[in-house]
Amino acid sequence: MSDIAIAAVLAGTILLASTMSVELGLSVALIELFAGVVVGNAFSIDVPSWLSFIGSFAGILLTFLAGAEVDMPQFQHEWKASLSIGLVSFSAPFVIVGLLAYYGLGWNHRQVEIAGIALSTTSLAVVYAVLVETGLNRTVIGKRLMAATFVTDFGTVAALSILFVKPTLWIVPFVAVAVVLIAGLPKVSPWFFSRYGDRVIEPEIKLVFACLFLLMWLGGRANSQAVLPAFILGLVMSNHYSDHRKEQERMRVVAFSFLTPFFFLKGGMSVSAGALWANLGVLALLFAGKMVPKLAGVYPLARRFTAPHAVFTTLLMSTGLTFGTISSLYGLNAGIIDRTQFSLLIAVVVLSAIVPTAIAQRFFQPHAERELRRDGGELAADLV
Amino acid sequence: VPFERIVVAIDGSETSFHAFAKALELAGLTKAALLALVVEGPLPAYAATIGEIDEVKREKDAFFDTLAARIRGQAGQAGVPIEVELRPGHAAELIVRYATEVGADLIVLGHKGHFLRDHVLGSTADRVAESAECPVMIVR
Repeated sequence: MSDIAIAAVLAGTILLASTMSVELGLSVALIELFAGVVVGNAFSIDVPSWLSFIGSFAGILLTFLAGAEVDMPQFQHEWKASLSIGLVSFSAPFVIVGLLAYYGLGWNHRQVEIAGIALSTTSLAVVYAVLVETGLNRTVIGKRLMAATFVTDFGTVAALSILFVKPTLWIVPFVAVAVVLIAGLPKVSPWFFSRYGDRVIEPEIKLVFACLFLLMWLGGRANSQAVLPAFILGLVMSNHYSDHRKEQERMRVVAFSFLTPFFFLKGGMSVSAGALWANLGVLALLFAGKMVPKLAGVYPLARRFTAPHAVFTTLLMSTGLTFGTISSLYGLNAGIIDRTQFSLLIAVVVLSAIVPTAIAQRFFQPHAERELRRDGGELAADLV
Repeated sequence: VPFERIVVAIDGSETSFHAFAKALELAGLTKAALLALVVEGPLPAYAATIGEIDEVKREKDAFFDTLAARIRGQAGQAGVPIEVELRPGHAAELIVRYATEVGADLIVLGHKGHFLRDHVLGSTADRVAESAECPVMIVR
């Protein structure tokens, strides 16, 4: 199939995924992933190089957006209570999945690291959706959950950047440029955005894209990864975006309409349905490898910090989606894991987005108004 | 008819406006308190980005705020006091939960909702009628 024919098929698929998302009330990313699996397996389409390129950039942009969407004042307020939950939520499945993959499945140490990172994530967006829909984002438990999720995500991006670095001399300009951008962009932005912002040609979005491409290029030359600096760059820009919602909205429009669909489609197209079918036992094992340590590790801490809703907290901390997909795709693109391993990891990531969320919402969801009253009561008691 | 608290569910569909008109008429006749639950529908489940949730929430808030203002205006014109509550979530369980919370003795809703998901899983009206703790009036 020619490149333009593939582009036409994928454009139609992306359109269909968007309409299905609206009608079914499901995330567009999840439908794009499924659509990618269908298109990739039914039409036997190999991922073309242009799709890999767009997908790689979209992955870095998603990482930047994830950083930019963190509510820093809220995190600063709740980080002490959430630090232990977030750290255990990352490290427990990282270690257990690693041991399982190494000793149980015979994967090599680099494959083990990819598996550990991909399955140790917690999905900030999945957690956020549940909290906003129920109104729990206004409660102490909701704020602690979001802060803990951020800690886990930070562990993921740090591990992805640090574990796979094999530095060349280019690491020096890479680190230097990353530091300059992280320190400078929040300072330059107010001037740049006030002079060039609010135009249909979007210089402010192009500025961010230029920074991200620069980081990707230097990161590649340094045999490193742009994930960590992109995430931190997003973090330092989060206050700016919270003051300039329109700008953030336009960035999201560009990302969601053109870039991220290709990222998730590419992820889905790289999944082999046959390999999944042939390895259902391994799939179950890896799923247990993610869920059991998350549940066992987070629950005791959740009982301390988010009582009486420890089970709800624990289940939501067991979700995963975007960073799990980013990590797995990195492993596949870098030739660290093969298509079967990638398929298994993506399947576990998607299952972990759905299963614990559904159980938490169905059986353990706290009542927001009651929680707000409890928070008010505790605050009054603290003041007395 | 001894109704004291009537809950009417509105999701922006044509039939929900019919239901609202009936509830308004009934509340006027019986002097019952009228509570309108504006069902915003669920946010995208299993989202990959906070942005997706934020933008959908913002669009829904804008649409349903306008809707809430419209029904407040209609109730005002009819001289019926009304409380309006906006909530996101799956229609059937939301309506039943809200009716229980406010101690409703009648739920009024349209026979066909706005969200495809409700059609796929069976109509909202059927599910509310099955699980509500008070009488349910389904309006065509």
